[in-house]
Amino acid sequence: MQTSASHSPSLPTARQTTSVRMPGPARHYGRYLYLALNAAILIFLLAPIAIVVVFALNPTPFIQFPPVGVSLRWFEKFFASRDFMQALGFSLEVAVLTTLSATVLGASAALALARGNLPGTRLIVATMLSPLMLPAILTGLALFQTYVLLDVGRPTWGLVAGHTLVTLPYVVRTTLAVLHNFDTRLEEAAQNLGASPLRTFFEVTLPLIKPGVMAGAIFAFIVSFDQFPVSLFLVSPGNETLPVTLFNYLKFDLDGTIGAASVVSIVLAFVVVIGLDRTVGLRSYVKL
Amino acid sequence: MMKALGSSRLSRRRFLIASASLGVGTIAAPYVARADDPTLRITGWGGKWGEVMKAEIGPAFESEFKCKLQIDSAFPYLPKLQASSRSAPIYDVLHTNSNEQWAAAEMGLVEPKIDPNLVPNLADVYPYAVSDKIVGVSIFTSAIGLGLRTDKGYGPITSWKELWDAKYNGVRGGYVIPVNSLGQAFLMMCGTLFGKGQTDLDAAYAALEKLKPIKIVDFTGAMEKMLLSGEVSLCVIHDSGIYRYDGQNQPTDFVSPSEGVLSLEQVLTITPGSKMKELANAYVNYMLRPEVQKRLAETVWYSPANKKVKLDAKYDAKLLTTPEKVSKLIQVDWKWYNERKDEIDQRVNRIFRA
Amino acid sequence: MSASIEIAGVSKVYDGGVRAVDTVAMDIRQGEFFSLLGPSGCGKTTTLRMIAGFETPSAGAIRVDGADITHVPAHKRDMGMVFQNYALFPHRTVAENVAFGLRMRGLDKTTIAAKVKAALAMVELSGLEDRRPAQLSGGQQQRVALARAIVIAPRVLLCDEPLGALDKKLRQQMQFELKQLQKKLGLTLVFVTHDQEEALAMSDRIAVMNGGRVEQVGTPTEIYDQPKTRFVADFIGDTNIFRGERVGPNLDVGKNLILALPATEAQGAAVLSVALRPEKIRLTLRADVAGAAGSSVHGMVENTNFLGGAVLYRVTLEGGHRVLVQQPNAGTTHLFVPGNGVTLEWTPADLVVLKD
Repeated sequence: MQTSASHSPSLPTARQTTSVRMPGPARHYGRYLYLALNAAILIFLLAPIAIVVVFALNPTPFIQFPPVGVSLRWFEKFFASRDFMQALGFSLEVAVLTTLSATVLGASAALALARGNLPGTRLIVATMLSPLMLPAILTGLALFQTYVLLDVGRPTWGLVAGHTLVTLPYVVRTTLAVLHNFDTRLEEAAQNLGASPLRTFFEVTLPLIKPGVMAGAIFAFIVSFDQFPVSLFLVSPGNETLPVTLFNYLKFDLDGTIGAASVVSIVLAFVVVIGLDRTVGLRSYVKL
Repeated sequence: MMKALGSSRLSRRRFLIASASLGVGTIAAPYVARADDPTLRITGWGGKWGEVMKAEIGPAFESEFKCKLQIDSAFPYLPKLQASSRSAPIYDVLHTNSNEQWAAAEMGLVEPKIDPNLVPNLADVYPYAVSDKIVGVSIFTSAIGLGLRTDKGYGPITSWKELWDAKYNGVRGGYVIPVNSLGQAFLMMCGTLFGKGQTDLDAAYAALEKLKPIKIVDFTGAMEKMLLSGEVSLCVIHDSGIYRYDGQNQPTDFVSPSEGVLSLEQVLTITPGSKMKELANAYVNYMLRPEVQKRLAETVWYSPANKKVKLDAKYDAKLLTTPEKVSKLIQVDWKWYNERKDEIDQRVNRIFRA
Repeated sequence: MSASIEIAGVSKVYDGGVRAVDTVAMDIRQGEFFSLLGPSGCGKTTTLRMIAGFETPSAGAIRVDGADITHVPAHKRDMGMVFQNYALFPHRTVAENVAFGLRMRGLDKTTIAAKVKAALAMVELSGLEDRRPAQLSGGQQQRVALARAIVIAPRVLLCDEPLGALDKKLRQQMQFELKQLQKKLGLTLVFVTHDQEEALAMSDRIAVMNGGRVEQVGTPTEIYDQPKTRFVADFIGDTNIFRGERVGPNLDVGKNLILALPATEAQGAAVLSVALRPEKIRLTLRADVAGAAGSSVHGMVENTNFLGGAVLYRVTLEGGHRVLVQQPNAGTTHLFVPGNGVTLEWTPADLVVLKD
């Protein structure tokens, strides 16, 4: 994924480090230290997930170390619960709608910002990214109040709009990053060869900015699917997202069902990312 | 995907109707709410309570009063109510704990009293349910006392004060007071136990200081699990948090201390701006009906507020179902507490951070 | 079929008042290799981009075969273009790149395949159809860009410094091939370059541009031998420029140097500049006999620069002027060394009077 160069500078640096050739034992020490550091970071990142999995598979209704056994009862309870299943379905629905709207709006906005010669571009970019700076709970509360004032209730589109607001910055950012390195002569070449502006967009621009747009879309999906603070105020009775349902469940029942739900969420998010990678391709075949 | 979801909702509706007709066939015939029916918007708990409400009690109400019941079981209720317009509030009936009801009443978000003329069942409730410590009406209460591990050789316990015994160092459990009602009620109890009364905060702070080392949690549910897993052996807890594991042979028991138990009331209030006042009063009255009270009480181990409720023996033995048992309840002055909440929060945070 | 282009009083003023192109007028004939030559920022690329339709003129008109295309969008102009750095579509193969313009024209697959094959054969890239641009060398990418532009049989082929990124050897070869191809196909070709040698070697005609204006349009020999302005004389090749006052048939350029003006320049401005190409000066060992007054002068070699095919001397004249002198390396010529006293001689007709 070519955007990674601009987003995680650690990646190329890490590669350089491995290729450093130091003479003698010093080289080995350096290498071991490097491996140990990486292992430590991985453990730090994965340990919470491991604990969740243990919690989900442990048959007792409370976290216990060492685990007393392996059981799927919490998964059964999760999948048998109408509330959880409905919340899971609704979360997926909202995440898909959010991903669509955030991707279309965000990519269009990024294009306009990068190309449109608009006055006050910096200000617009700052405004677009501002939902990231604001505590999401305030975004949710503000939207809730707005909907109440407008007397529209708490419709699904309202929730999707809220999620779009907080996921848009990711798409704008990742798309701007690829557009920053985009050679506009490629578009001129297409037009020169007879492609209309629309055709140019679909034949040249879109395929080339796709890695950035897709990276943003994946962020949007995951952020929406995991979104809690914005949803908190915007969900309506009967239409609750999984994180909100989990939070409410947590207040009454703290058992492995929470762990099972988390494992299912993680697996789902993983499947979506892998699926998108396989079908649309996250890795870019070009160096811009 | 949208389509699939829609159909699953439909089947869920059918399932609800089916279960309603099976489960509460005795109360009412199945009723399918129509789009143009009036909608009563209320709040309600999740968990077992929520399940029974959705499957039986709610549909039966809808059927009897030809309306739709929209239950919001997603917290936080108060900020949502606060953010909505006074003249068109987001809820008609607010169901929450007493301390939150007091906060709501102070802001004018709920009506302070229920009219006994509009809610006839109010005549049958225990005095605590409509006392001056209550906004609206308490339809149930839990008793806050002590939870004990019965397999560790501790006990028998009779007094709150045993929580301070050094042998419970490291295995006693309490709450993050700023966010948990049980913790707040317990703080007031400390004033009663060691000082001049509920409002003797200095005595309470000193007592809290002496409780350390103590394991504190924010959710009440987490305390239940800590007791079940043996992480704590003696803790502040509500009776329903112990009794709900009845029949599972858990080595835990609820202790009702001699100094009395604190009440954790389930309170209903009506919002002043509600356009469904009549239905709202009908709902409050409905929730106080003996058969509804009995069904819910036996589901979640809450003590019913209606004196006329006759519970099955096993529930009757443990819950507060007689005037004598009810007289052991100590109600917290939440109005007084809420006025000092910020100050108390700061102080207890300092105590437990150290 | 190739077309002629008429650029009629075209200007381009950007926001902020920068006048990139200033009332440029030129006629590019059908089948002609026409170069726009000038230093960077002279407006040559902007002019090309206006022909291509990527920029809209602020004033003036552009006509192709007499039809006004000033406001026709780029994709309807039917012109081929080879970009600096080629602008090949990185996400498409060589064949797909070449096929792009044909696809946009809605041709059927078999026709496209045949034309692509022929075009790639023409630029000698057969067999590389399935490569991606990133897998090709610079020269190969250049050929793909060329094939992509000519496969659509454009009315005009526009080239924006297409050879700039190639090394010298490859560049000369490509210059030759491009010229061959242009002649073979009878293409009208507009070629932007800052490299005067390239322009002189390839063009039928050259427009020398400076500061957004056209300084001179002419054949390579006209541009070289009869530069009209001081800028053109200076920009194209090495030259000696003298500025002075007209005294009768002569020009007094100061420091005791009087130059005889060509007979054709008997009349004109009182103060003027003249150019004298270094290779038009003959150099001999200093003779005591004075040469013809006004076209001969003594000096001393200060610097000898052996170029292989020629020798370039820097000579200080007796009065103090410094001039460049270039002598062919004929094998028999004497090689002067610094310090040699020399006599410089030229034909007055080789002096070119310049407009300032």
